[in-house]
Amino acid sequence: MNSLAILPFIIPLTAAAIGVLLHKHWRVQAAWSLGALLTSSALTYYLLFTVYTTGQPIVFQMGGWAAPFGISIMGDVLGATMAAMVQTVMAFGMIYALGAKDSAVRYPSFLPLFLMLCAGLTGGMLTGDIFNLFVMVELIVITAIALTAMSDDRYGAEAAYKYLYICIVASITLLLSIGCLYIGYGTLNMADLASRIASNPEQPTLWLGIVFLFITFCIKSAVFPFHFWQPDFHTAAPTPVSAMLSSVVVKLGVYGFIRMTTLLFVQQAPIIQTLLIILGIAGVLYGGFGALGTHNAKRMFAYSTLAQVGFMLVGIGWGTSLSLAAAIVFIINHSLIKSALLMLAGYMASRAPVKSAAFEVVQGMGKYAPAAGVLFFFGGMALAGIPPMNGFISKLALFRSGISADQFVALALVGVPSLITLVYVMRAFMKIWWEPRHSEEKVKPSGDSLLAPAGLIALCLALGIFGEPLLQLATSAATWALAPAQYIQAVLPSGRVR
Amino acid sequence: MEILTSLAIGLLFGIGIYQLLQRNVIRSALGMVIVSNAVNLFLLSIGAYNGVVASYAKVTGQRSDALPQALILTAIVISMGTFSVALALLRVLTARYSTNDSERISELKH
Repeated sequence: MNSLAILPFIIPLTAAAIGVLLHKHWRVQAAWSLGALLTSSALTYYLLFTVYTTGQPIVFQMGGWAAPFGISIMGDVLGATMAAMVQTVMAFGMIYALGAKDSAVRYPSFLPLFLMLCAGLTGGMLTGDIFNLFVMVELIVITAIALTAMSDDRYGAEAAYKYLYICIVASITLLLSIGCLYIGYGTLNMADLASRIASNPEQPTLWLGIVFLFITFCIKSAVFPFHFWQPDFHTAAPTPVSAMLSSVVVKLGVYGFIRMTTLLFVQQAPIIQTLLIILGIAGVLYGGFGALGTHNAKRMFAYSTLAQVGFMLVGIGWGTSLSLAAAIVFIINHSLIKSALLMLAGYMASRAPVKSAAFEVVQGMGKYAPAAGVLFFFGGMALAGIPPMNGFISKLALFRSGISADQFVALALVGVPSLITLVYVMRAFMKIWWEPRHSEEKVKPSGDSLLAPAGLIALCLALGIFGEPLLQLATSAATWALAPAQYIQAVLPSGRVR
Repeated sequence: MEILTSLAIGLLFGIGIYQLLQRNVIRSALGMVIVSNAVNLFLLSIGAYNGVVASYAKVTGQRSDALPQALILTAIVISMGTFSVALALLRVLTARYSTNDSERISELKH
């Protein structure tokens, strides 16, 4: 029963290893990978359902070693929600990849690497051990680099190279942070660490550890001053991969910030939260204006991710249970919206005479792809936060939590730029679907499959109309996150809370 | 001994970061290895001065902490993996751009 917590991570990892052996038959490998990912998604949903209905987390101690000594895998409401989000979006990404025209998806290592990316993300969300988190982060980094470097885009290798270097810095700071925390508190288990930090916040290396961890998560989720690699990287990746990178991979850092402020450093949280609000506002402004100035649809959505991550950080920074719930809703909804929109941009690129999502190439191509236009319109409405889409619910929840937290300055600073979203999404829509086509080159008759973005947009619409269950789930996750004593009690054997 | 170790870590960090910032991509890849070794040495120093007896020895005395060594083993394996990916990537890049100058491997603008 307890092993349910580790299955969502172990199934994709094992399936990836076996998938490599099936490289000679692409269809067999594809069926195997998709089957494995759907199985693990189903198990993640079962985990989430169990945890949510019983209200008790499922903790798995690796190798049977009791908590502070072994590695704990923590299936709590927050982690399981995030893992379910990751698995859902990754499953849609896999479906898109199987119907994509890129030659990269036919490479024998593409699908196993995709599964490993999923395993790393799920593991990162479910782990209860900071060194294990480091391992998962490295798994994500290496697979993301390989997936981007094999892109059809000739700049893929260059983008991967830039990402590699920035991630080396992130893994060095993460290791330094782990070292600093280990010197001070002699443990790696997050629950044990949280209780020890709460009882003894005077250790001299604590703040070093916090700063290094903060920098790591900033780099991971491309928060404003550490963002410069992100648009390049997300533009050059193959479409199914860039849809994943821009939606779920950046969320690991955001999730890390939630854990930092609510579990690990509760007493130090006010300073971290202030910093998060400032960086979040900067990200919202920078990402919004950056997206306005781009000439490529994929790059525009990469910039838009900077802005949207800013909203989540502001929500985490306010730190009330309402705003935390809003941030969680925002995280989930943004993953669905952004992956769908990037897939649609990639679809237009796959129809274009030269494979590119640059506006000068795809301009006016919309009349050959009316179905994609409808989907893009709904996705754009969701991103801009217009009812009846789910983006409206997440923005409404965030602004309402800001009002109830009396954060009017920050609210104004993120509320007004959120209108920029509407401007750049409409600009992209008009360029592709309304403006006349200049070039004489023939549009390809068929492109990538539209099944995955259609499914995602349908999910966005469903979550916009029936948003209540998601809000309740997020509220329960936020309530759980704000009671770190329960987390500590669930992991440590004697339930000792100091 | 503490002084020597900390000097060594500092020196390795200095050399590593200097090399990491070089324009030559091969040099910067080597700098990456040096920095990750500096971090490994830092992790080693976390547990090195806790006790005087190795944790597996059958003698009495205050036992040293073995966990940082386990961490380093993992970190070494991971940095080896990252380094091999980096070298493979550099192989592709230097062939594609016919240069090893990182300033000239910069065509990503739009």
